[in-house]
Amino acid sequence: MHSAVAHHFESLEKQGQAQRLGMWLFLATEVLLFTALFAAYGVYRYLYTDAFSQASRSLETWMGGVNTFVLVTSSFTVAMGLDAVVKGKNRRTGLLFGLSILLGCVFMVLKGFEYRHHFLHAELPGPFYGGPIAGSGGSMFFSLYFLITGLHAFHVLVGMTVLGVIGARTWLGRYGAEHHVPVELAGLYWHLVDLIWIFVFPLIYLI
Amino acid sequence: MSQFPDSSPPVFAERNYLNTPATGLKSWLTTLDHKRIGVMFLITTLIFFAVGGLFAMLIRIELLTPGPTIMDAMSYNRMFTLHGVVMIFLFMIPAIPSGFGNFLLPIMVGAKDVAFPRLNLLSFYVYLLGALIALGGMIYGGADTGWTFYTPYSTTTTTKVVPILLGAFILGFSSILTGLNFIVTVHTLRAPGITWNKLPLFVWSIYGTSVIQILATPVLGMTLLLVAIEHAFGWGIFDPARGGDPVLFQHFFWFYSHPAVYIMILPAMAVISEVVCAFSRKNIFGYKAVAYSSLGIAFVGFFTWGHHLFTSGQSAFNAGVFGVLSMFVGIFTAIKVFNWVATMYKGSISFKTPFVYFIGFLFFLFFGGMTGVALATVSLDIHWQDTYFVVAHFHFIMVGSTIMAFLAALHYWWPKITGRMYNERWGLVGATLVVSGFVFTFLPQFLLGNEGMPRRYFNYPERFQALNVASTAGASVLGIGFLVILVYILVSLKYGPVAGPNPWGSRGYEWLTPSPPPLENFDELPAFERGPHEYHDLPGVEAVAPGAGSSHA
Amino acid sequence: MSDHTAAPATTAHTHAGRYLVVWAALTALTALTWGLSTIHIPGFGGVAVALAIATVKGTLVALFFMHLWDQPGPNRLVLITSLVFVALLVTLPLLDNATRFPLANPPDAETAPQRIRDAILNDAPPPAHP
Repeated sequence: MHSAVAHHFESLEKQGQAQRLGMWLFLATEVLLFTALFAAYGVYRYLYTDAFSQASRSLETWMGGVNTFVLVTSSFTVAMGLDAVVKGKNRRTGLLFGLSILLGCVFMVLKGFEYRHHFLHAELPGPFYGGPIAGSGGSMFFSLYFLITGLHAFHVLVGMTVLGVIGARTWLGRYGAEHHVPVELAGLYWHLVDLIWIFVFPLIYLI
Repeated sequence: MSQFPDSSPPVFAERNYLNTPATGLKSWLTTLDHKRIGVMFLITTLIFFAVGGLFAMLIRIELLTPGPTIMDAMSYNRMFTLHGVVMIFLFMIPAIPSGFGNFLLPIMVGAKDVAFPRLNLLSFYVYLLGALIALGGMIYGGADTGWTFYTPYSTTTTTKVVPILLGAFILGFSSILTGLNFIVTVHTLRAPGITWNKLPLFVWSIYGTSVIQILATPVLGMTLLLVAIEHAFGWGIFDPARGGDPVLFQHFFWFYSHPAVYIMILPAMAVISEVVCAFSRKNIFGYKAVAYSSLGIAFVGFFTWGHHLFTSGQSAFNAGVFGVLSMFVGIFTAIKVFNWVATMYKGSISFKTPFVYFIGFLFFLFFGGMTGVALATVSLDIHWQDTYFVVAHFHFIMVGSTIMAFLAALHYWWPKITGRMYNERWGLVGATLVVSGFVFTFLPQFLLGNEGMPRRYFNYPERFQALNVASTAGASVLGIGFLVILVYILVSLKYGPVAGPNPWGSRGYEWLTPSPPPLENFDELPAFERGPHEYHDLPGVEAVAPGAGSSHA
Repeated sequence: MSDHTAAPATTAHTHAGRYLVVWAALTALTALTWGLSTIHIPGFGGVAVALAIATVKGTLVALFFMHLWDQPGPNRLVLITSLVFVALLVTLPLLDNATRFPLANPPDAETAPQRIRDAILNDAPPPAHP
């Protein structure tokens, strides 16, 4: 029996199956966590339609677009990393995960510039809102903007940490062609972060 | 116990999970064994049950007379908030799934442990952390919002609502981890021979519970976080003064908290499905109907939350939609009730303590369920909303059904968990006190509510006093009943007769292993040829036509 | 629930070419949705188009980057079930706000009739109950 198999599993394959299902269940909780915010966004967008589109136009769409491209590309490099470890090329996986982390950093830096812009223009949530939009719509948009992108950015940071740890361990040869499920799970988490951004981008920046 | 065919002298298993690998406190606190984690959950939740029960007694004593009796109005507000928070988040939600579920589910699927033992232990410590933070908030000042934390009051009150919100948020992670573990265990660790249609009904219901825990808990977590943010920084997410919609909070809150009712009642149904077979000595009637209706309840339970918002400003259209959808839950619950009753029909019933609780459960679930259908009728609900009628209704479900089932489970599996029998005579005394005490506590509250006494009120007019006194008297009987149970249960730990592997002659898989079970649950894995609810081939039991009682026989 | 019929997972992931195609498609769709947003499709159409493109992109990520294309039932079922509840939580509250008695919406919401909003803002007695 492989040393990586816990005592209560009959085989490595069965254990991998359990770990994948566990990860998917965890990802489902993540999806529902964001859904509360998306639902709030939907309701308030309906109640403050004009204010929301006005506030949305004040965002730098190109930053959101570039960030989408960056995250999608990082997802691609993570997928290629998994491909490498399955073929037994551990070092390449480590490098590809490192590249993905770098792309994550680019995303965070761009996000930071955006946040700086909003702070300078007092486009802030709740009572701190000092922007041009009359009524509650503007502050509500920025409440949700900071909640959604903030929660997402937090997930990017967590994902970068996970990729870092798993990437380093793969580089050191802890995982290989046979035992690659942890690499796959780290990838799944990162893809989910990407998946959520794919919906955040049009909702917040485009419409 | 001569009626049971297995009458060989009972044995207390020498090497069991209680003494293997060690007996010290450290070996318990660092254990990865699902049985020990289950027992730790049981003990902790029971302590919180006592705390919540104490708050309940204080509330009842306060309501003995109109006006202040033993506390002022503010303390009363805090008291019912704490009662709700402790009972729901610290007792009801974890007690049966995390306690009994942890102990039994892996044994019932023939596994050595849950899929992720470390996450399982983490779940316990996350639970402890959340409980301590919430308790800290209570000692530090408590909140007066009610356990529902309705905005905008919860975001503007000066009481210490944030630590309690944070505690409930953290408790959610424990719930998620346990649910995730159970689902993966059922999918990947079933022993050879245990197919989906040979799963014990307990497992089916716990599986349904886990689905709800996974899907609903994150939404509550986010909502509580939003309230905490709004309370701390003044962002207007739900506050109408800042453009927010407080009814949206109620939507989010009940998106979790209504399915949470099924997180509490499905495990109770899990227990009952096991108990009714074991003590009727008859095949479960309609295995598939009982099994799949658990998933049905889990699914439909998500479509009903709006019936909490009938008088909150929700649109009439939505109220109608939710009213109709709510009644669908009644269908699945009724399927179960009819099947349990049909299981008893022509059975060889032995009227032991767990069965008494089952009978109590059946009546109270029926009463609570039917009043629930009445409350789901929009026009009737306008009259009863926020009165004691609602309080009585949900206590019939939560105390009358879930706690009866919890006590049934405690007595039914006590010999399996501890290896010893409780005293049956005292068991019946306790059950009688609890069941009758319950009726006297909550039946008057239906009448109070119908006459218009609002819930959560500290004061009331003179004309309501007689019924309030009756309710408080009933609560005292209930309290004494719990004390009786506590005493004989503790006594049995040391002096109880040795139970042996299967004192009830049950056909459930967990009774195939010695009591208490060994470290990895089975010394030798059984073949699991027979279903877990099949009694028709028992010698000495009146033959019931095979197939009449079970769809999988 | 066909978790016993899982294909051996270890051989299923050598898909470098597939990843490249998906990445190209995702990039193209990002450019497309960005471009379309500059045209300003009026009303609900813009939202629908943007969300439709996002859904296509999300499906690509879930199926190929996250391997649901070649993985067994339970994992797919988990994602699909969670999406059902996403739809539920988004639509029913929205439906509520859309069909509500206007005064029950937040006071300065754009959905409230101007007459009622003015009445609230000017502290005048509210209009008679319809």
